[in-house]
Amino acid sequence: MILLGELSLWVGLLMAIWSATVSFAGGHLSRADLAASGERALYASFAFVVLSSIGLWTALLTSDFSLRFVASYTSANLPAVYKFSAFWGGQAGSMLFWCLILSLYSAVTLFANRKRNRELMPYVSGTLATILVFFLATTAFSANPYARLDWIPPDGTGLNPQLQNPGMAFHPPNLYLGYVATSIPFAFAIAALATRRLDAEWLAAVRRWSLVSWLFLTIGITLGMWWAYVELGWGGYWAWDPVENASLLPWLTGTAFLHSIMIQEKRGMLRKWNVTLVVATFLLSILGTFITRSGVIESVHSFAQSPVGSYFAAFLVVAIAVTGFLVATRLRDLEARAELESMVSREAAFLYNNVVLVGIAFSVLWGTLFPIISEAVRGSKITVGPPFFNTVNIPLGLLLLALTGVGPLIAWRRASVANLKRQFAVPVAGGLFLGAVLFALGMRDGYALVSYTLAGFVFTTIGQEFVKGVNARRRMHDEAVPVAFVRLIARNRRRYGGYIVHFGVVVLFAAFAGLAFKKEYDLSLTPGASFSAVDPYNRTWTFTSQGVSRYEELNRQVMAVVLEAKRAGMTPTLIKSEKRQHVDSRGQPTFEPSTEVGILESLRQDVYLVLHGVSGDDRETAEIRITFNPLVWWVWYGGIIMALGGLIVMWPQATRGGAKRRAEGGYVVVMQPSERRTVEAPEPPVEAGV
Amino acid sequence: MATRRQFVVALGGTLAAVAARVADGQQRPEAPGATMAGDGYVPVRRIPRPAAAKRLTPLERDALERMLACPCPCTLDVFTCRTSMPCGFSPRLHADVVQLANGGYSADEILAAFEQAYGEKILMAPHKQGFNWVGWVAPFTAVGGGALAAGALIRRWGRRAAERRAGSVVAIEASDDELARLEAAIRSDDS
Repeated sequence: MILLGELSLWVGLLMAIWSATVSFAGGHLSRADLAASGERALYASFAFVVLSSIGLWTALLTSDFSLRFVASYTSANLPAVYKFSAFWGGQAGSMLFWCLILSLYSAVTLFANRKRNRELMPYVSGTLATILVFFLATTAFSANPYARLDWIPPDGTGLNPQLQNPGMAFHPPNLYLGYVATSIPFAFAIAALATRRLDAEWLAAVRRWSLVSWLFLTIGITLGMWWAYVELGWGGYWAWDPVENASLLPWLTGTAFLHSIMIQEKRGMLRKWNVTLVVATFLLSILGTFITRSGVIESVHSFAQSPVGSYFAAFLVVAIAVTGFLVATRLRDLEARAELESMVSREAAFLYNNVVLVGIAFSVLWGTLFPIISEAVRGSKITVGPPFFNTVNIPLGLLLLALTGVGPLIAWRRASVANLKRQFAVPVAGGLFLGAVLFALGMRDGYALVSYTLAGFVFTTIGQEFVKGVNARRRMHDEAVPVAFVRLIARNRRRYGGYIVHFGVVVLFAAFAGLAFKKEYDLSLTPGASFSAVDPYNRTWTFTSQGVSRYEELNRQVMAVVLEAKRAGMTPTLIKSEKRQHVDSRGQPTFEPSTEVGILESLRQDVYLVLHGVSGDDRETAEIRITFNPLVWWVWYGGIIMALGGLIVMWPQATRGGAKRRAEGGYVVVMQPSERRTVEAPEPPVEAGV
Repeated sequence: MATRRQFVVALGGTLAAVAARVADGQQRPEAPGATMAGDGYVPVRRIPRPAAAKRLTPLERDALERMLACPCPCTLDVFTCRTSMPCGFSPRLHADVVQLANGGYSADEILAAFEQAYGEKILMAPHKQGFNWVGWVAPFTAVGGGALAAGALIRRWGRRAAERRAGSVVAIEASDDELARLEAAIRSDDS
């Protein structure tokens, strides 16, 4: 099976090369037979990449240490689930994993479009095959997971302990699913540019894949934050690490695209901008991968030194050159078919939303690359860490939050003063009321106060939209509130799914602001000793050490401290934090000791316990840190709500009778002409959110 | 022309630097011009001041350590690294901070001592001076410039649209039958 897997990698590469060649030839020469051959070759390439992946999984699960990759990332005593997830735990395996997802997506795209977009498809399959050729070639020549060792070690090195966490079984695949999905809109953009078919046809194909990418990136980023929080032990979930930043970049531009695409769909505008965003999102995914894998920027996430960075750099340059040429030569085809009429319109709000989203993406990219730029200009290295990113991005983030609330309140085309007053009155009052209450309660942190005020404003905006929609349904159909609520969402998924995503954003910002009130205590506790601490809600907690214990588990030696946590009105609860020394099957240490944090979770706050080490003559004094982290769980809930909203937006909606259903939703202007008269064209019932 | 040439040179220099770093592979922490232990650790020592009273409280010391970047690739500050995922560096840097603090040195003096030993890279964020201002200001400039450009664009589009409206018939004179057909067309377009 392993030999078959290795051979399949090479055959898959050959198939992809054939597919790229004949697909483009088929498109250029208008030869359907060549285009069909290209598509079949891409299907075949997918099959061979699957075989190759099965081969590697087999090697991992059977601990075939003759393979360098298996010996480097697993050990005989590694739990099976982590042997399975070791597939994407190292450079070579993760490259093959990327190929697997890309070939799968390519096959799905070809199948879904077997009867649609036929003029575009030769170029779509050609572009996808070209990307696949790049990844397969890089894998085969530079990061081959089937590379053999000269000798067979009795055991492998094992998987980094910090990757031995359920989060790591899901976080990287989701990120990869998101990154790779940006290839499909990119391929359609290239096809549309190449064929000059830049009408709405390609956008329809692109939108759903952009949502797929956005959804998986959202899930992947949230899971990554959760993993960092529960595994790394530094009490936070976002460190502005270059690799974290790399995942945020395509998410930001992808989000911008999902907003601006609505303007093109409804008004035929921003056509150049949308193509640019699609291309930029794909290129930022590749750039992120380059950052992770080249070692050009230091990161805790970086893979070991490898020559793949040069391959990625070359690919980026070629991709930028090709797309730059195509866009530059098609500018006339990308002229807008309508124009924005007013600064006070939903289109303008979306445009400003795009400016801020892309601005944040720029600031993140700029901060990530600035050490290199500074070194090139000044010759000295600098560090650009959280102080820079927080200083720059917190104001921009708050501006974005404000626009999240503003957009849905403004009418399309042109809003009147009366319309603005009517729409803004309640949300502005809601936000100010919340801010005033929090100020009266003693909140003095400026950013937190602004954040909660804006969160209140956006939340009220969303609530107002739902209330209006539900009331309209109730008036028209005499439905109960829950029924009207569910049907309102179900019958206009794009609009109300978008609002749910916005609600997730509000929850996220509220949770982020909570960190301003974090409290930390460093202390030493002998067995039986107690310590009192006050949490951010001014409640007193007492922590009593139950002592330090030492024991062995499957692949590690563990030292743990257990504290009893008490406060008035709460049942005493035990929290445990561990220091782990992982060992191989011969009992030899494999990695530096790692920390397993103890977390007492609640919706209000987490009590976060970290065992630094032990001290004292008897090694029984626990050196620990206790942190009160307010509202952390709302970060995960915010991510879940956003993903749920994204799913609702994505969920296919039957097109037949769509207008009728929207009319039932109460959002189609019904004209009742009784006499010959002058009317205004009704505002189209368009969507607000994603 | 000169500006264009400078831009090209600067761009070329940046790309060359990136390419050189790619070719060199992953960069390791360096301590320019200082005596280093083999792994890149640079002892930061100063003679204690006579009769020095301990000036920094533990909280102030922790805050100071949050401004120092750990030289390992964790990208965390010294305080966070040493208390959560200690590497070979952060505990030693912590020891140096403690020694300097106990020796009567202020937070600024300690930061300066570390910067002298490791270079500006040891700070979690660059100083707001010289070329670094480009780094600090560029994001706001980009967003501000983008917003201004978008505003100007919308104003221009708005003027054009107004001109077009002025030259065309705004109102629709339609019969009931025509209105019904318009409504049907709009509805079918929605779906």
